[in-house]
Amino acid sequence: MLKLLRVAGDSMAPDFQEGDFVLVSKIPFLFRRLRPGDVIVFRHPNYGTLIKTVAALGPAPDEVLVTGIAPASVDSRKLGAIPLRAITGKVIWHARRVGPGRGR
Amino acid sequence: MIYQILDKVDGLLRIERARAHCDIPCGVYDPIIAQIAALTVVRMMDLMADVEKKHPDKDVAYHNSLARYVTVKEEHAIKVKDEIRTIWGDYMKAEHIEKFPELHGLVHKIMQLASKTKQTSDREAGLQLVEAVNQFAEIFWKTKNVATKRAKAPYLPNLELVYPVL
Repeated sequence: MLKLLRVAGDSMAPDFQEGDFVLVSKIPFLFRRLRPGDVIVFRHPNYGTLIKTVAALGPAPDEVLVTGIAPASVDSRKLGAIPLRAITGKVIWHARRVGPGRGR
Repeated sequence: MIYQILDKVDGLLRIERARAHCDIPCGVYDPIIAQIAALTVVRMMDLMADVEKKHPDKDVAYHNSLARYVTVKEEHAIKVKDEIRTIWGDYMKAEHIEKFPELHGLVHKIMQLASKTKQTSDREAGLQLVEAVNQFAEIFWKTKNVATKRAKAPYLPNLELVYPVL
């Protein structure tokens, strides 16, 4: 129900930087629907495990559209809608990078 | 504290990555696009200044040419702003700002000058824009420890550009 992951890449900068740690859980959205602005981790068939922000709910009832924060981020225009079953969880805790870290 | 512990754990266990994927391979940044766009702005101003000589009776051809020059000037001034904002916002990190405290002021100056070149046909503003973007390029290459040189671009308007020495 809980999973620790490390952020790689800059598309969520400056909120989430390369090397940050995030704890994700499925629990929060078992009880309520995801909302735009929630940060989620999900699996994508072409891109692997990704971290993105929910941009909007839909278009189907069990799908969300996602976006990054940085302008060059890929978003649902390329990724398509993300089915809820592909979502690993919502970010519930975040440790920001301190010092140089191991990063990528 | 927690971060350092997690960092150590990651060194041992390799925690799974959640990729914050970018559309372009992250790390591909080059100020040359902004530099060429700034030169184009000056070139369009020069063509605008010449167009009356070529079409003294201000016929339809005159208006057509002038409209095209203004459009291209507008596009390239916007391109300067987009490119500089992207490098400044995405590439430049806190340690770069610390090392080059003039960076924020310089980027703001570029935004203002680019707007001025959109609003006017003031060639002096165009020249100042080229120079400010050159200074930005110098800082950018310094952050990568790449030496630079200044040379006249081998095409009109033959202004000096900062090039990396690779």
